Amino acid sequence: MPASEPTTKIATRAFRLRRWLWRLARASGAFLILIAIWALLSRFADLPDYFLPSPLAVAASMGDLVAKGVLTAHIHASLLHLLIAALIGIAVAVPLGLAIGLNRYAAGFFYPLFNFFQSISGIAWTPLLIIWFGFSELTIIVVVNYTILFPVVFNTMIGARTVPRTYIHAVRTLGGSRWRVIRDVIVPGALPHIVTGVRLGLAYGWRALIAAEMLVAADGLGYMIFSAQATHLTSRIMVGMIIIGLLWMFIDQFLLRPLEEATIQRWGMVHR
Amino acid sequence: MSLQRWSWNIAAALFPFAVLLVAWQLITVAKLVPPNFLPTPHEVFVAWLDVIKDGSYVANIGASLVRLGVGFAVSTILGIVLGVLMGLHRGIADFFQPLASFFNALSGIAWAPLAITWFGLGPAAVTFIIWNSIFFLVLFNTLVGVKAVPMIYENAVLTLGGNRWQVIAHVLLPGALPSMITGLRMGMGFGWRALIVAEMIAASSGLGFMIFDARYIQRPDLILVGIVTIGLIWLATDRLLLVPLERWTIERWGLVSKLQ
Repeated sequence: MPASEPTTKIATRAFRLRRWLWRLARASGAFLILIAIWALLSRFADLPDYFLPSPLAVAASMGDLVAKGVLTAHIHASLLHLLIAALIGIAVAVPLGLAIGLNRYAAGFFYPLFNFFQSISGIAWTPLLIIWFGFSELTIIVVVNYTILFPVVFNTMIGARTVPRTYIHAVRTLGGSRWRVIRDVIVPGALPHIVTGVRLGLAYGWRALIAAEMLVAADGLGYMIFSAQATHLTSRIMVGMIIIGLLWMFIDQFLLRPLEEATIQRWGMVHR
Repeated sequence: MSLQRWSWNIAAALFPFAVLLVAWQLITVAKLVPPNFLPTPHEVFVAWLDVIKDGSYVANIGASLVRLGVGFAVSTILGIVLGVLMGLHRGIADFFQPLASFFNALSGIAWAPLAITWFGLGPAAVTFIIWNSIFFLVLFNTLVGVKAVPMIYENAVLTLGGNRWQVIAHVLLPGALPSMITGLRMGMGFGWRALIVAEMIAASSGLGFMIFDARYIQRPDLILVGIVTIGLIWLATDRLLLVPLERWTIERWGLVSKLQ
């Protein structure tokens, strides 16, 4: 009877619930402390009204925005911008990266160009793009697309070039055509790098998205918080910021990182 | 490397830009786009000389670099110090990691409206935005780096009679160094981007402002001057500052293999 007790104890619902609650408390502990400090500051610090709304005011504002559908609309717009830009970006960048990576001369030609243009964030192009495309969602999507392109092309290029040559030779020795080499060796081999590039590209792209939405002022979360500033709706600004942070955490933690790990595990690449 | 080899490398690196320049000139000459959309290379060059002559070019670059420098210095020092302190105790590091992760996910530019509310338009808001872009990144990377140092090294120093400070100086700091430097390099990149955007939104001087203002006064040639400047400055910073820094600290101490 004593020997079986430890296993039954761990298996009990009560224990698992306590453990889960304990983990939740540990993960959220720092946030709770921050919110407590925030609440105290907004209550007792001698600041103008619009400076630091209390956490309750922000929560109320969030509820209000959700009820009116405003928040949902902006989240929807932002995610749509990101999705379209990402899909176009990946569809263009991966073949481009593979093509460039496979040809030594092309790689040598494009590498300095990409290196240079990568440092010029998509946002720096925004004023020029506004001249070309106006204050439209197209401008936002082009900016984000540009931002996503570079990490994806870069990483795809590197991925294509670091596939061990023995595998390529193996397929050629077995009589495979160039197409088979690309399909069966290069693409799977470069896949971990491609996914890393996509993850990096989306990280940059998300930041660029918020900034572009602020500058172009069409719609989306960036526009929401920027216009809220003009009318001193500070609680709305904070709602937007929290959503922006949470959204990206969610996308990165539950979509991108598992995808990256699954690809690397499945295709068995070792070094990154 | 022989002089011949070196100059060949430079030529190979510049060749794509020469091709780009030619293509640009051809596009404007063939009038493939409306004239006020894309100025000719010559127009951009003339505009560049103009802003150098009237002093605004250097003034704007100076303003931008000062803000970036201050923001970068403050964020990295704070980030590293706090990161190491937090990383010392596994429990504290684990406790604060979700918070650091959240603020890391909140891009610097998302702070812009709040920064303008608190500091008004101007250099203070811009520096605050830069600080947010860099600080959390460096903090997060330092935290992760310190946590990842194998306990065996810590225990080794303690076994040999070392105290807490020696553990920090001889084990944690060098061990976390690759992660810290990666954070610094990424932070510099993010900070630079955030600087340009912040100046577009919240300032009346600096490179970002110059580019944004050029759109108002319908001067696409000035926009391109600004864009090329951004690229060149980042290139210089990366090649002359960051890569050597990485090479000098990490590679010298043999912590990672030779970087590209």
